[in-house]
Amino acid sequence: MSQMQALCDAIQTGNRNEAKRLTQEAIDAGLNPQDILDKGLVPGMYAIGEKFKRNEAFVPEMLIAARAMKEAMAILEPHLVKAGIQPKYRVVIGTVQGDLHDIGKNLVAMMWKGANFGVIDLGTNVPPDKFVAAAREHDAHIIGLSALLTTTMPAMKETVAKVRAAGLDKVKVMVGGAPITREFADEIGADGFAPDAATAVDVALRLVA
Amino acid sequence: MSRAIPDEIQIYADGQMRLLKLSAEQRRQRVHATLYAHQLPLNTRCGGKGVCDGCMVQLVRGELIHAPRGRRAVANGAPITVRACEYTWGDGSAAEIHIPDRSRTAYQPQVLTDFHIRVPYAHQPLCDLDGIDQPVGAAIDVGTTTVALLLVDLRDGRILSRASAFNRQMDLGDDVVTRINLCRSDASMLPRLHEAVLRDTIAVLIREALEKAGVSADRLACITAAGNTTMQHLLAGVDPSPLGVHPFTPQFLDHHVIQADGLGAPLHLLPGTAAYVGADVTAGVVSSGLVYDDGPSLLVDVGTNGEIVLKHGDHLLACATAAGPAFEGAGLTHGIRAGDGAISHLQIHTNPLRIEIEVIGNAKPLGICGSAYVDLLAKGVATGLLDATGRFNRQCPGIERLLCQINGQPALRLARGRGSEPICVTEYDLSRLLQAKAAIAAGILTLLDRAKLTPADIRTVYLAGGFGMHMKTASAIGCGLLPGFRLEQIELVGNTSLAGALATLLDRTILHEITRVSRRIETIELNLEPTFEDHYIDQLLLPSFTAEDAEMK
Repeated sequence: MSQMQALCDAIQTGNRNEAKRLTQEAIDAGLNPQDILDKGLVPGMYAIGEKFKRNEAFVPEMLIAARAMKEAMAILEPHLVKAGIQPKYRVVIGTVQGDLHDIGKNLVAMMWKGANFGVIDLGTNVPPDKFVAAAREHDAHIIGLSALLTTTMPAMKETVAKVRAAGLDKVKVMVGGAPITREFADEIGADGFAPDAATAVDVALRLVA
Repeated sequence: MSRAIPDEIQIYADGQMRLLKLSAEQRRQRVHATLYAHQLPLNTRCGGKGVCDGCMVQLVRGELIHAPRGRRAVANGAPITVRACEYTWGDGSAAEIHIPDRSRTAYQPQVLTDFHIRVPYAHQPLCDLDGIDQPVGAAIDVGTTTVALLLVDLRDGRILSRASAFNRQMDLGDDVVTRINLCRSDASMLPRLHEAVLRDTIAVLIREALEKAGVSADRLACITAAGNTTMQHLLAGVDPSPLGVHPFTPQFLDHHVIQADGLGAPLHLLPGTAAYVGADVTAGVVSSGLVYDDGPSLLVDVGTNGEIVLKHGDHLLACATAAGPAFEGAGLTHGIRAGDGAISHLQIHTNPLRIEIEVIGNAKPLGICGSAYVDLLAKGVATGLLDATGRFNRQCPGIERLLCQINGQPALRLARGRGSEPICVTEYDLSRLLQAKAAIAAGILTLLDRAKLTPADIRTVYLAGGFGMHMKTASAIGCGLLPGFRLEQIELVGNTSLAGALATLLDRTILHEITRVSRRIETIELNLEPTFEDHYIDQLLLPSFTAEDAEMK
């Protein structure tokens, strides 16, 4: 089995120690960081995402894989930067104001990183203006809004309105989270909605295409 | 047939058929609302938002309209399963609907009224007894799901009777966040929720308890109640909306007295600590004795909102962890709350592989409740039936006889149910349970991190609440819900909220003690703790086989 295949498997099964070791080994062996990303990490996350869509993997397995991805990325990222490699698309993501739950948001962020998006994570309880400012600063293609509590859904609506009012015309807004439905996404004028983290990748790719 | 009697609605529930005649206006209502108006409340756990499976009914014949999309659902003898909250009746067409037992809230809940008061208390009732002959008092635990009440003789502290029931707010929305949201979106909901708990639940329970004890209503002198902060807001008729969003600021936390006509006596709400660490928890910190424990010790209440308090030296540190309702059976294929007909425990025998079930009330099984799921996780991993990720282990000898398919998902058959459908657990169910148990376990480990402690350092884990009482402690340890603890560390303390309400009723100094404690407890927000997410992901796995698992019977 090739080294990249082994890395891909380690990501998929969420074996974080193996994922970190293989990433470091590949770097030490002088492999191109872009190749490590494209042939090891990205296909690993893609595979677990596809399994999720087929009901062959569930949220726990996705989270475990995403953590392995995150830790391998932490090793690889400085080398990508050094090599001047930048992702083609940038997304700003955060949990809307009033909501502190971020496990779902973090999973989406990792899935996007795993699909080679540049992810600017603003964390939790993010006010609308901060989304707008970050999207401007990073010239983002997408803003991703997350909410877990039904009580914070109005803040999501407000954030979409603020983004529109700010005139960020080319920025697409994507929404998601346990209580969010397609109807709600349409109602508040979001450009995209994903019912889960795996689908979030497809939707984001469609929005930037 | 539907043309001959165009507007006939047939409802089958409890083996009986009812005919409903609906007005044009009623036909525009959602199905669950109509059924509710006809004394057939469904398990609308998500508040009728179409996200849970609590109100599933079968459309056997006729048609309904899927309201959000305007699509028709038509059945012609082959039943279609639909969420009652998503459909309206449409214009003038007939429908035959079957309501499965598990979609109904009408059955009696299993409510815990057992407890131990582990603090010394004197006889010094909370209220003045002058002018009342043979005074009695009521102590109440106001849970989001169930309410439990004790009627007590205030002269000697004797318990005269007990009564319990579903919190009637359940008919409006299943969980705390849903109810907060109802108040945020509709001003008429606050008085409705207030009345549902005060008039339709507590006043009814008081009458029932008085009647059981043969006590006249004029002897009732005083009532104490402890509930989570949202319940206390709704009891007081105070808008809980700010509890729904960060910074989660309660409108009040202190001792609060309600004078309501229908109750017959003043109702004292005990003081709480924070939005998600309420009076039920502070009452428990005192009544369980945690506050006087040299420690380090923990109080753990496993619920939808799991509350954990750590006593370390003089320091009391608390958090709430969002476990979700999986342990109440919500969102699981055949999950139900504990009650008659629920599979409550199970054993797994190997060589040959066989699952032995225990059913509450010795009834025919209707579904599976939380304690049995905990058994399955623990014993499943110990016997090799499950792997660490909660998947069925296809290599386990004899497993193929127990596996079947439900909606294309591999499922494990636990029992034959009523009718033809077996009662099963799917791998998806297991993934939901793993998330629930990981939330509790990670909450415990994150609190311990704050004090630089490990489970082995803990002297006593006071396990509170109905679920804690009914699940097997060995299984809770075996599945990692209580991660890394030993059996001898765990002490069951029952309904500590009710115990605190009772102790306060009988000894007014306990109210001062609970007040002091409520101000001393430091609460932390788990999502802002750096180690929480890592613990959570670690705890999504089942613990691998250890010597402790082998000791499990």
